[in-house]
Amino acid sequence: MSRVEWLFYHLCRLILALVFVYAGAVKIQDVVAFAGHVAAYQILPYAMNYLVAATLPYVEFLAGVLLLLNVRVRPALVAIGGMTLVFMAALVSVLLRGLDIDCGCFDPAGGEDVSAGVALLRDVGLMALVALTWFMRSRLTTRSAKCETRGEKTLKAR
Amino acid sequence: MQVSIVRNVMSDNLKRILLEACVLIAFGALFGLTINNRLVLDVFAGRLVPQHLIENVENELPENAALVLPMPVLLDEVQQLMTEGGLLVDARSPELFEEGHIEGAISLPLVDIETVLPDFSRRVDKDRTVVTYCSGFGCPDSFDLGMQLVEAGYSDVRVFEGGYPEWRDAGLAVAGEGQ
Repeated sequence: MSRVEWLFYHLCRLILALVFVYAGAVKIQDVVAFAGHVAAYQILPYAMNYLVAATLPYVEFLAGVLLLLNVRVRPALVAIGGMTLVFMAALVSVLLRGLDIDCGCFDPAGGEDVSAGVALLRDVGLMALVALTWFMRSRLTTRSAKCETRGEKTLKAR
Repeated sequence: MQVSIVRNVMSDNLKRILLEACVLIAFGALFGLTINNRLVLDVFAGRLVPQHLIENVENELPENAALVLPMPVLLDEVQQLMTEGGLLVDARSPELFEEGHIEGAISLPLVDIETVLPDFSRRVDKDRTVVTYCSGFGCPDSFDLGMQLVEAGYSDVRVFEGGYPEWRDAGLAVAGEGQ
């Protein structure tokens, strides 16, 4: 992996990390408001919206922190990718039912409303970033493994 | 031979990654549940008025005062009360009321309570059943408005803590500009 690729990997990782740490942190600040946004999707039974609101932001935050620390990167990417896919499915269902709601992705307590269409496009971008980071991370890991194998062989030859 | 070994190693790696991802999600969810256990328990137990609000009111009242609190009601009870002549009162802001509200409800915004309560008192009998609601669990306005109505002399005040979101999500009749 060249230096440019190495830098690109860390850039992708940090962007994803900051997005999810921020998304998780603002929702943790106001769980009830976030539950209101989840309820607006009209997918889950009423009480389940609160269960999702009480747990999802913490998973987002934790996955973001792991990415930020460059620890357990691929498990964090799987979790983030899985959550993003679920968000995308929910947004597609909102678009199909013609609901005019704010996605509640980043600022459940207020701020600018983001439509389901815009949120879906953003999630497509995030999924691309997840795939790219996974690919680069795998290359980095394979290369490290090869270097280790070569090192062991050299030591044995000596 | 080498190809199958590589495949096995990759498969083991993938399994480990998936397992770690599951642990991450479980840990995050458990942490969230621990922090928000009170809210989640209130919602699932159907304790419609959050316990901490009741405790606050109890602390503010003198020891010998009779504790008169608005009674919490569930969705089906609200429907029943409506058919029996109960009055639904929306405690949210006028803007939210205009956007969407329970059909048949009237607006009595908590933010303007001092201005709107005298007129409400003139129009609505003190012995009529009044059900207050706002934006769902965790929204204290319906309870606070209920307390104001009790203090104003209303003898049968109930709080529908599931509020507008629960009513709307149940597919029941709503009104307003956004509908």
